[in-house]
Amino acid sequence: MKLKRSLAGVATVITALGVTACAGGAAPVASGNASGDTITFRSWSPIEQTTRQMIDAFQAENEGSKIDATIFNYPEYLVDLQSRASSNTMPDVLGLQPGALTQQYRENLMPLQDCAAETWGDDWQSKFYPIGIEQARMGNPEGDDNFYSLPILTQTVNLWANSEIFDDAGLSVPKTWDELVQTTKDLSGGDAAPFLLPAKDSWLRNVVFLQIANNVSPGTVYEAEAGSKDWTDPAIVKAFDYWSKLFSDGIAQDGAIGLDAYPSAVNQFEAGNAAMIPLGAWWIQQSDPTKTDIPPLSEGMSGYEPFLFPTIPGGAAESQFVGGIDVSLGISKNTANPDLACKVLTDFIAGSAAQKLVNTMNDVPAVTGLAPEKFTSEKQEQIWNLFVDEWLPQVKWSRYFESPKLDQAVADALAAIATGDATPQEAAESVQAVQDTL
Amino acid sequence: MKILTRERLVGLAFLAPTLILFGVFVVYPIFYNVQASTLQWDGVNVGTAVGIDNYLELFQDPTFLITLRNSAFWIVLTIIPQGVIGFLLAVALNQGLRGSTIYRAIFFIPAILSPVVVGIVWQRILDPFNGVLTEIGKATGLTFLGGNYLADPQTAIFAVIFVNVWMWTGFSMLFYLAGLQLIDPSLMEAARIDGASGFQTMVRITFPLLKTTTLSLVLLGIIGSLKTFELVYVLTQGGPNHASEMLPTFAFLEAFQLQNVGYASAISVVLLVIAVVSSLSMVRVFGAGFITGDEK
Repeated sequence: MKLKRSLAGVATVITALGVTACAGGAAPVASGNASGDTITFRSWSPIEQTTRQMIDAFQAENEGSKIDATIFNYPEYLVDLQSRASSNTMPDVLGLQPGALTQQYRENLMPLQDCAAETWGDDWQSKFYPIGIEQARMGNPEGDDNFYSLPILTQTVNLWANSEIFDDAGLSVPKTWDELVQTTKDLSGGDAAPFLLPAKDSWLRNVVFLQIANNVSPGTVYEAEAGSKDWTDPAIVKAFDYWSKLFSDGIAQDGAIGLDAYPSAVNQFEAGNAAMIPLGAWWIQQSDPTKTDIPPLSEGMSGYEPFLFPTIPGGAAESQFVGGIDVSLGISKNTANPDLACKVLTDFIAGSAAQKLVNTMNDVPAVTGLAPEKFTSEKQEQIWNLFVDEWLPQVKWSRYFESPKLDQAVADALAAIATGDATPQEAAESVQAVQDTL
Repeated sequence: MKILTRERLVGLAFLAPTLILFGVFVVYPIFYNVQASTLQWDGVNVGTAVGIDNYLELFQDPTFLITLRNSAFWIVLTIIPQGVIGFLLAVALNQGLRGSTIYRAIFFIPAILSPVVVGIVWQRILDPFNGVLTEIGKATGLTFLGGNYLADPQTAIFAVIFVNVWMWTGFSMLFYLAGLQLIDPSLMEAARIDGASGFQTMVRITFPLLKTTTLSLVLLGIIGSLKTFELVYVLTQGGPNHASEMLPTFAFLEAFQLQNVGYASAISVVLLVIAVVSSLSMVRVFGAGFITGDEK
């Protein structure tokens, strides 16, 4: 009898534990994570080694303050952040992406405009590239003008050419679709892939598609996202069709849909096994002057040249600029030390820590006027200046979709086209079907 | 009576830490997960109760049906080849072959490598652009070696299964080797004296005596197949177009990339049910002896 009661007791404890489980409940209010002069920082970017340099720079200028940082791979970071948000142990300063990710945590984040204004003055927004400011509030509800994250790094998405291969073949980078087709033909048959497309990654499929779509009809794809146009609009179907031509016309290498960008494709590109690859401004980080043992092609960017996705017949006369925020930073609204968290955030974006970050050429900074203290070649400096002075100020089209479901739907549609499972029209209809559920 | 009660109390006291840990780390998360599966929830903000809607949606989701099909493929096509090859390797290496220790180590090495590393290496081997197999194919004329195995929806899941078999066959071999060394040598001696051939000895004596090992491997194989994640994620990310999606990769995609934690929880509950039903069915059919060792 007693045994039964004991077992009943154990069962009661287990049941009670179960009953107290409240998935989907509002996060309780609790104190933040900073204790005294320590700020916790978690992100997937910048990489650990660079973050260390940034922290050292900040701590040297702010004696007594400490930053406790943890850098993850991106998928692991998403898991960590979601778990921490659910258990109310968010880091004080955290890495975010604009749109869906920032919006998911908006309730847990502190509005940052006061912090920005106190640090940089009332006209602080003019310090940033316009696309960064525009995207920082992406997905905010109507009437909510708060900045829940501020960009630290921005970028264009574009193509990169292996200059040596092009020089040896006596070719220049293609500016139109027809030139792309011809260049690919001219470069075929050699050891290097003419156009290395790492289409396994959904993010890469989407950024290539967005470059094509905006070159076909600037901005139409965002109108479809907003619901003011259908995804079956002829311009969008045409964009899907040109994506399909990358495969059907033999522009992309065999097995493109099975190749990932990191590490496989970039290793091949850096080894000289491809003439062109669609990546973005961040590729300049290969020539990071603070690194040793840089491969010959990357040294001072001697072997590379960035260019924009070629124009499409019947589309925009000039190639469009697609890009936006690479990484932005937010502050937990429960931080115990908001002033110090603000100091860390603004220093990471535009202070001495930012200078360390920019020195590594991790990506292009979100604020104007920051440049690496040292360039290792004239070409490297020219490419840097091209990004910061010419391309980034012109970026008008986002490299992101706001809704993760739509982002996935487009990525799935592009994969279906690439594998021959769907026609461009069917792919457009499948995205519209998802759009209709949002 | 008092002694009996005291003994029971002492027994319960010994069990208590385990029961508490079991409650906190197994029962509680399961309950939490079941509850989450009844919500439309992004994992952070307040969720909305939707009852069984996630399950109704799940069973109409073509990707979910693909994951079930792939799980079935995975279970059959990993457990059987791994078991057969592992058994044959174990028998061969149990013959006192010169250098057998080195062979054992070589065959077992893949099982101790990180699936992430294995995935990256095999992606380079299988890359049809200039991967290792493609180059071998070009050099030997065996051009089929350079196929788009990971990039073709028809073959992607089988390519991943192949790599998984390569990785885990050494594990089966090690299990069988341990089992073989427990067999009384006099049995083999008697069979030889009675005129049994090597093949007959292996099929009619050795293999039946390793029944518990085989059943343990099957059980581990089923559970391992259902929860496989890293290798698929690295090799194909569940693609192309979800063709190689497995239940855990699908749950991960929904929970952390699509911010659909309620739906992902429903996937996890289904996964749990399949795993528990499969395991209990095996125990029911074959008895629990192969787990507890009582049959020996």
